[in-house]
Formats: sequence, structure tokens, C-alpha cells
Amino acid sequence: MSGRARVRARGMARSPGALAGECTQASPSVPRMLMPSDLSDSEASFSGGMEGTSRISQNCDKSVSSGDVGSTFVEKVVKVRRDYVDLGVCTRAKLAHVRDSKTGSSGIPVKLATNLFNLDLPQDWQLYQYHVTYIPDLASRRLRIALLYNHSRLSDHAKAFDGTILFLSQKLEEKVTELSTETQRGETVKMTVTLTRELPSSSPMCIQVFNIIFKKILKKLSMYQIGRNFYKPSEPVEIPQHKLSLWPGFAVSVSHFERKLLFVADVSYKVLRNETVLEFMTDLCYKIGTSCFIQTCEQQLIGLIVLTRYNNKTYRIDDIDWSVKPTCTFQRRDGSEITYVDYYKQQYNITLSDLNQPVLVSLLKSRRNDNTEPKIVHLMPELCFLTGLAGQVTSDFQLMKAVAEEIRLSPLGRQQRLARLVDDIQRNKDARFELETWGLHFGSQMSLTGRVVPSEKILMQDHVCQPMSAADWSKDIRTCKILSVQSLNKWLIVCSNRAENVIDGFLSCLRRVGSSMGFNVGYPKIIKVQENVAAFLRAIQQHVDLDVQLVMCILPSNQNYYDCIKKYLSSDCPVPSQCVLSRTLNKQGMMMSIATKIALQMSCKLGGELWAVEIPLKSLMVAGIDVCKDKFSKQMVVVGFVASLNPRITRWFSRCILQRTTTDIADCLKVFMTGALKEWYKHNHDFPARIIVYRDGVGDGQLKAVIEYEVPQLLSSVAESGSKISSRLSVIVVRKKCLPRFFTEMDRTVQNAPLGTVVDSEATRPEWYDFYLISQAAYRGTVRPTHYNVIYDDNGLKPDHMQRLTFKLCHLYYNWQGLISIPAPCQYAHKLTYLVAQSIHKEPNLELASYLYYL
Amino acid sequence: MQCDSVVDDNFEEVCPEKVIKFKPPLYKQRYQFVRDLVGRHEPKKVADLGCGDTELLRLLKIYPCIQLLVGVDIDEEKLQSNGHHLSPFLGEFVKPRDLDLTVTLYHGSVVERDSRLLGFDLITCIELIEHLDSDHLARFPEVVFGYLSPAMIVISTPNSEFNPLFPIVTLRDADHKFEWNRMEFQTWALQVANRYNYSVEFTGVGKPPAGAEHVGFCTQIGVFWRNSGGAPGPCVSQQHDQHVYKAVYTVSYPSLQQERVLKFELVSEVLLQVERLRLWHLRTLREQKRGAGTVPKEPSVAPSLMLDLFTEAEKARIENSPKPFCEGSRFFVPLQRLLAYPRLHRLPVDEERMRSLLADSVCLSSDGSAVKVDLRNTWDWEPDDY
Repeated sequence: MSGRARVRARGMARSPGALAGECTQASPSVPRMLMPSDLSDSEASFSGGMEGTSRISQNCDKSVSSGDVGSTFVEKVVKVRRDYVDLGVCTRAKLAHVRDSKTGSSGIPVKLATNLFNLDLPQDWQLYQYHVTYIPDLASRRLRIALLYNHSRLSDHAKAFDGTILFLSQKLEEKVTELSTETQRGETVKMTVTLTRELPSSSPMCIQVFNIIFKKILKKLSMYQIGRNFYKPSEPVEIPQHKLSLWPGFAVSVSHFERKLLFVADVSYKVLRNETVLEFMTDLCYKIGTSCFIQTCEQQLIGLIVLTRYNNKTYRIDDIDWSVKPTCTFQRRDGSEITYVDYYKQQYNITLSDLNQPVLVSLLKSRRNDNTEPKIVHLMPELCFLTGLAGQVTSDFQLMKAVAEEIRLSPLGRQQRLARLVDDIQRNKDARFELETWGLHFGSQMSLTGRVVPSEKILMQDHVCQPMSAADWSKDIRTCKILSVQSLNKWLIVCSNRAENVIDGFLSCLRRVGSSMGFNVGYPKIIKVQENVAAFLRAIQQHVDLDVQLVMCILPSNQNYYDCIKKYLSSDCPVPSQCVLSRTLNKQGMMMSIATKIALQMSCKLGGELWAVEIPLKSLMVAGIDVCKDKFSKQMVVVGFVASLNPRITRWFSRCILQRTTTDIADCLKVFMTGALKEWYKHNHDFPARIIVYRDGVGDGQLKAVIEYEVPQLLSSVAESGSKISSRLSVIVVRKKCLPRFFTEMDRTVQNAPLGTVVDSEATRPEWYDFYLISQAAYRGTVRPTHYNVIYDDNGLKPDHMQRLTFKLCHLYYNWQGLISIPAPCQYAHKLTYLVAQSIHKEPNLELASYLYYL
Repeated sequence: MQCDSVVDDNFEEVCPEKVIKFKPPLYKQRYQFVRDLVGRHEPKKVADLGCGDTELLRLLKIYPCIQLLVGVDIDEEKLQSNGHHLSPFLGEFVKPRDLDLTVTLYHGSVVERDSRLLGFDLITCIELIEHLDSDHLARFPEVVFGYLSPAMIVISTPNSEFNPLFPIVTLRDADHKFEWNRMEFQTWALQVANRYNYSVEFTGVGKPPAGAEHVGFCTQIGVFWRNSGGAPGPCVSQQHDQHVYKAVYTVSYPSLQQERVLKFELVSEVLLQVERLRLWHLRTLREQKRGAGTVPKEPSVAPSLMLDLFTEAEKARIENSPKPFCEGSRFFVPLQRLLAYPRLHRLPVDEERMRSLLADSVCLSSDGSAVKVDLRNTWDWEPDDY
């Protein structure tokens, strides 16, 4: 593991405040860090893993899919886009208490501008689906399409056609229409066009057709599709000092929101690294030498998305084959053998310069839903460009800062971009024509009414504090005592000889801030060791015994130390540990705030409770679930589960498991929940009356699996818990990546919607019990609301109460004295899985389960 | 395997009754013929008359020598729907071409004169003339040879002597107005060449099957060269602008001739090279520290990955340039040194230009002769750490 990655694991180096070590948060969702809202704008394009292999083209892609039921023809089943699959999952119908209304009423109404646009259709608009057959049958899809498109009978119809299924917005006179045409060679071809379905505008199929229409339109505006978004490489933002180009673009989607068809657009950037994979490999080799080159190279490259020089496709690097060289041959489609060198020369007039490079291996998943084996593609590193910011680069603070500077958009800037897009669409003749022939009318930007829920009071030991700003209450509670924490009497500091001089100053500072917050810090045993990982580990092994409450390590650098120490102390010998970089302790003038942060973290690790909010429900357990892919073995998924242990929601039970799987669906939830219930019983001598589980990390298209596979696990452990009255369960899917944005308009400018803004109408979905909540502050960028989808709900809380409770839970993340974008249990689960996936790679010791040892 | 870029079926070849199969398909052989010609003669301005679905233009746009690529067709719809295939690949925004390239599609007839097609190096008419009716065919030479008068013209057309080998004896395409035998084509071509002072060579693609060699190539091709001695047609400058074609699509490629692009490329390459030299220098220092006796070798490289393959000339150029040096904790690489490396050498910049382009993105030494960086940065990997 590289130093940079490790730095990232601890989330240092991100904060503009430049705190280091464990005193700042790792989470991208914590405000004021560099990552939040602004950077996450482009999350979809950043995270390499997201997009798999996808085709970029400016072709008019006429492929359409049939997801509806009951077609009389055996049709080619084309994959329905994953996010449309989720829209077909109607959970609200089963929830009686929200069937009529899922909107709350508390709070102060606020008028919000959005990035949603009305798409108007005539009242009786329908889409007509036809099936087309050819006599004689034609194998070439292109020929089929060309013949149909060129037929005069259909020339003035708006149409989408994939070679078999034809969509028209106007009905043909006959149910079955026979058309005759001639090929260029003069053969007569008979085309039979048969009506198979009439689809209302709300049908999923229509939605897909609408999205195809917009895809065409954006391509008319010289945009390229990469993954799901559209970019304009001709207007790049360039950061030469980091070898990066940023292509501006949009994530767009058309779908049915609560009441009508809407077009959503959000600004997105595609990051291009001006570097071929071969250059990357060469540089890496320069950097680390040959000894562990192959291993490191694979670690850093596998999973990244590359763009090839000679076509518009992107590929995911699934493997590197070091035994294949450009001089090897492969079999062409016509059966002949050709070397890669000759192939690229012949096909693309490209001369490969390095004949010793290995080949990148990419698995092409079939676009159709036939279970064919994935096709293997070999790519030349020399001809592939790296895209996205994934892996090691993300821990380059300077680089990430430069990127953030460029792509951070204020709410006003964002709205202006959208206005320009809409303007471009409406000015472009072809685009306008496309919309008009389909009968679509691009309407105004939508505004809606949200509500700002009341702010929360922060309960300290002997003080109730109403923060000035919920985004950060560190100043408000500086003089207050934390709720509870045991004294720290027996603890160790392991440091290198060189770090000795900073320790005294730091310790006295730590003791001082500790005592003002009610945390007694005794004198530690200080162990000085040589400056290498083995010496640190040996010292820890020698000196840690059963009585040691906590081990603090002052690390000379970030190489290796963190992973090894965390691995040993979280799993082999379970003792809470605190790692701090010696560099951090050298920062003059910041010692007090650094010491405060460290003291808070240490008290959490000892089982301390920092603060609370008022929880009106008397016997409520909340839990958070998140998943994270293991850093080394991509088939391993780390599933984290964190549940509250007391009605005040200040103590937590954390479990984590490594699961071998290809999906992100958890199958250990029963064990986790049963364990949490037992632990709850131990503390409270009863079972919780209500359980609310927040599930984060659900990908597109997985909603159904969560409902069918995860909810039953939770239900059965609740049912088998042995309580007389079974606890009532609710499950909420949390999503940080959602397209809608909400702004307030003030004095002719737009601003982020205030903290605590809830939107539960218009921008929500009719088939779900869902709402948006803004619980994070963005000082410079645009805030992204978090979407909550209640997929299971026995509790029957009023929507108002569900929303308020969710907001309260966003106050309880002890690593940040302020609101965060998701409920605290989710953030804890995230932090835990991240530590395991990045550093530990095995299940942490159960003895630590009731401490927040991973903060 | 990755070999799916040209899968487009040409209608002529997908015909199921087709008995004679060409390998590669005949249309590909025709395109390959033009590509070979372009590869050999490196024309700057190329036009394809009757470009249809722009297939040939798509193949030609990858040639670095071409700076202006034009397609003309009478089917506007086809141009409309195929134009975007000619837009740059995404990769061409990342690693731009050396020279500018503009691709334009015009809607119009090949028997109309448009001054925007004057002064071309190569004009191709692939399977075009057989679609012209007798009136248009008569006017065709006057426009293409007489008026446009490019340095080179390629004309291909079916060879009717080959037709008896096909099961269908009629014309090969419903829209063909005629199909000539070799004698007919060559007579016409020689006449035209004489009249407009061109010389012509005949060849073809699509070899006949064994036993039928006497019929000749399936497609016959005439390659015309404007004779240098003769009057090169009306001079471009004397022409009035005559714009009768309608531009349907046009696109400009990013290239190193554009300042913004050049700057980005230059800065990236400089930083890449400086970083490599810095790492190499650090390694040398480490080796020296470890054992005074061991002289560091060229970075011995990972299995199968060769670094910086320099020719002898390149090596000499690098050796003869000022060496990188250290002052305190700073590492300096002279601009002249950087320019000696092939990847920077190829860029159209001298030291002066380089200095001004680098100025606001890269830190230079006080006299501006070298790039300055910190010798060590915090993220350096120290193999002896552990």
C-alpha cells in the first residue's frame, strides 16, 4: 500500500485546515473538507468503478428495450437501464400510512429553485410500439435500419428503431402495415410493421425512449457520451501542472417525478489524465524500482477506466497480461492471424513504439441479456489514456485541490450552466426539430416548496447548547463537558527518537484540553524506538498487556506504519489505538485545536459519549449499513453494520465482515442484527420497541435485491430475538448521489438551500415513500441533498417524524462537531468498512465492538 | 479480440446470393488502395467526391499529413446523419495531432463548380462515375480535371468483364447508369488525361478467381497525375469565390498548431521528463549512499517493460545537452536538456518559445534557463523505509 493511499485512509491532507493524523475526518460527506458537495459533483465520473465498460459514440443509438410484459412477439430483450429498474420497484403501495400522503407539514416553508425542467406532452400523448419483420430476412442491423428509415412512408414520423422494435409517436393507420422497398442492388424487400403496444407516457419504456431522444439531442450539440453523462471535450479546463484535463458536461435524465415528466440536468466534469497507461507504468517503475513493480502496477491500474486513442470507447482494466507482447498474434474475425503491431498499423495507421509492453485485459460484458461469456479485449497500454480520479492520485492533496478549484461551482454558476444548456438545446435547429417531431415541449425550470425543519439543540453534560450554525458547533461547545468518558490512566505512546521533543508540549496540551472537556488524561508510558515499522510493532507487542487502555503512535511518516499498527491492534491484539503523524505535532499555533480533536477521538475510542440530541422516541434502536470493496481483492466486499446501544443514541455496537461476492448485497445482516439486539438487551434489559435501519451503498438497480434479500434477514432476526412484543422495523435506503439540487433565490441570486431543508413533493417519486434532506453545509460549492427512500416501515411514524428523526441522526457523528450529510450510523459504518478495506483486510476483533475504535 | 472497428457492411457485399467472396471485402480493398496512396504521397488536402456514408473519409482522417479533408455528395440526408462520425475521437483531445485538420462535408453535385475545392492534392471518385448519366458524365471531366485540377485524381469503377462471374448478369447496382469494360474505361480516361494534361496509370482491386484471370480486376482504377509541365488549370487566386455547395457539417481538430493545445502538451511533457530525471537522480544518490563502489546502472526495468528507447542519434543529442543539476534542495533541468528528449524534440518550439509557454505553469530558475523543482517531495517512496 502506498503512502498516499494510507494518507487517504485516514482522511488527512484533505482538510484545508491542514490538520493531519487522525484528527480530521476521512469522510467525503463531512463538510468543510475538500471533498464535499463540490467535488462530488462529478462523482459518477470520478469513481472509476462506477461505469464499467461503456461505449462512447456519437452514433444515433437507436437501441430501445422492452421491459414491459405481454408482448405477442418473442422480442430481443434489451437491458433496461439500471436506474429505471429501481423505478419499477413500487414500495409505497405496501405502506398503508403513506399511501395517500407522504408529505410532512412541520417546519418553515421555503421556496426552492431546482435543476428540474418541465417536459410537456400533449394530453393524449402515446407511444406506439411496432414490431418489424423483413422478407427476405436481413441479418444486418444497419441495413434493416437504413431501409426502414429511408422509406417515404415513415419519413416524416418521429421514430426510434433498433432493427426490430420501432417506436412512433404517431399511430400508423393500419395495425399491420406492409412496406416494400428496394436495396441498392435492386432486390425487393418487404417490411411488415405490426403494432404491438400502445404505451402511456408514464410507462418505463417511454422513459427510456425519452432518454434516447435526449441522447441524440446532446450529441447534436457536439457532446460525447462517456458512461452515462455527456461531455464537451472541445472546451476543456486544463491543469497542465497535474497532467489533467477536465471536460465539462452534464448528467441528464428524463423521468417521471411525483406528478409529471421532468428533465433533470446537473453539471458534471470528466477528468482525463494526460498520460497513457504505458507512461504511467514507466513512471511507476522509475519511482518504485523493479522489485514489486508488477504487484504495485496491478494494484494501481486494475479497475481504472481507460480511453483508447483510436476509437471512442472506454474500457475497464480487468487484468494485465504480462506474457502477451505487441508482437504476439491474435485471431481476427475472419480467422486470419495478425500481430498487434501490424493490426494497429493497418487498421489505424498507428505505429507502436514499445514492443515489450504487456497488454491490458478488459472483459466486455454483453449489451444484450443473453448469458454469453464476456468477450476479452486486449489493449495496448501505449494507446490507452487514464480517465477519472481513482486510486492513488486522489491522495495527492495539491492535485485534488487544483481539481476542486476548477470544478467547484457556486449555486449561481451551476444555474447559469444549466440555463446555457437549455438555451443551446432550444437554439439548435436539429435539437428543436427532434423535440417537436416527438411532440415534446421543453418547459420552464421548476420551483417547488420545501420545508426547513427546526434546528436541534446539542446536549452536553451540564449544558444545553443551541449552536450558532449547525454546520459546525465546535466553538459553541468549547467550554462544555462531554457527556461521559472514563479516565485514561494506563496508556502508551510509541514514538521514534526524533519525535521525542514534541511529545512534552503535546501531552500537556492534551491533558489541558482533556480536563476542560471532562476527560482525565493520565501520564502515559513513553516508548522510544527506531524509526522503522518493525521496531514500532515490536514495541507494541512487548508493552501492550490487558490493562493498557489505549496505544498512541507518533508516526514518522505515513509509509506502512498505519496499516501494520491498525491491523495488529484491531485484530490480533484488540486495544484502541490512536495514530498521529509527528509532522502534525510540529504545527505551531495549532496545537490546541489539534489536541482537542485528538482528545475527542480518544475519548470515543474508550467508549466515551460526546454529545446527544433530544430523541422523543423512548425505545429506539437505529442502525447503519454500508459496504466497501476491499482494496486488494476486488471480489471481497466489506460489510459494516453499526447499531445504537442506548435510547439516547450515544453508544454504538459495530460489526464488520468480509464477504466474497460480486454484488453489494449483504448476507450477514441476520447475524449482525441478532448480535446488536443481544447487546441492546444487555444494556437495557429489554428489546427496543422500534428499529430503524439506514442502508447506504446501494447501487443502481439493486433496490429490489435489498428489499427481497436484506430486509427479510433483518425481519427474521427481529422475529427470533425472543422478545415478547416483536420490535417494529423500518428500513431506509440512503443515497448521496442523486441528481436533483435545491436552491433558494434571494436578491436575484441563487444560494444553497438552508440546512435542514426537506423536500418531499414534486422532485420525489410517486412509487416510493421518499424525501430529500439537506444536512450538510457547502461553504463554496453547491450542496447536494441526500435522498432517503423508506422501503420498509412497520413503525408507521408520520413522515414529519421520520424526517425529523433522520435530521437528528445527522448530528451524532462524533468525528465532526457539526452536521453531516448522512445519518451518523451510516457514517460510522462507512468509516469502519473503509478502515477494514484499506488497512486491515480482515475482521476486527469482537472485543472492540462496543467502541468507536475506527474513528 | 479488438478488431471490430470496421464492421460496416457495404450493401453490395451483404447480398446473400453473392458467390465470389473477396477477402478482404472489395469495398475495403478499394479504400485500402486509397489509404496506401495517401500513405505514400502524403497529400495535405484531400476531397472525396460522392463520399456517401463518409466511410472513406473516416479512414483517411487518421492520416497525420492531411490537413483539409472534404466530402461531397448529393444525398444531404446521408451527410447529415454521418457527419458526426468524422468528429475527433476523444483520444484526439487528450493527445492532439501535430497539424490542424478540418473536415467539411458539402452537399452538392460533382458537376457543379465550387471554388472551395480548388488547390487540392488528391481528389478521389470511388465508384462514382457509373452513377452519372451521360449528360453529367460529359461535364464531369471539365469540372474535376479542368476546373478543380488537383495534383492527383483517383477514379474507380466496376469492370463489366468481371460481371459474368456473378450469378446476376445485370448491372451491379440499381442506380448504375453503365458499367464499362477495361477498354471503354481506359479510352475515356486517356482522352480526358490528354485533354487536361494529366498522365494516367491503370490498375484495380479484386483479383479474379483462378482460371478467370483474363477478365481483369473486379474494380478498375485509374490514377491520374497532373503533368508538371502543363498549365495547372486556372490559377486559384484568379478565381472568383464561387460557393455553390452547401456546407452540411464541419469540424476542426485540436492540434499542436494551436497555442493552447501546444502549451498544455509542452507543460505535460516537461513535467513528465523532469519528474523522471528527478527520480533517477534520487536513485543515484541512494545508490551512492549505500555503497560507494556500486555505480548505478540505467534503471533496470520491470520485466518486459522497456523505458525510453533512444536511437543512437537521440542518445548523442541528450548526452551533448547540459546536464540536470542540484543546488541545495532544488533540482534543476536545463531547458536545452529537455528539448533533447525525443518527446519534446518533436514539438514545434525552440528554447525561447518554450520559456514563454512554460512561464505561468512551471517554476523556472532565476535566469530562466532551467526548470526548478524540489529534489524531494513528501510522497517519495523510500524503499529502505521498511
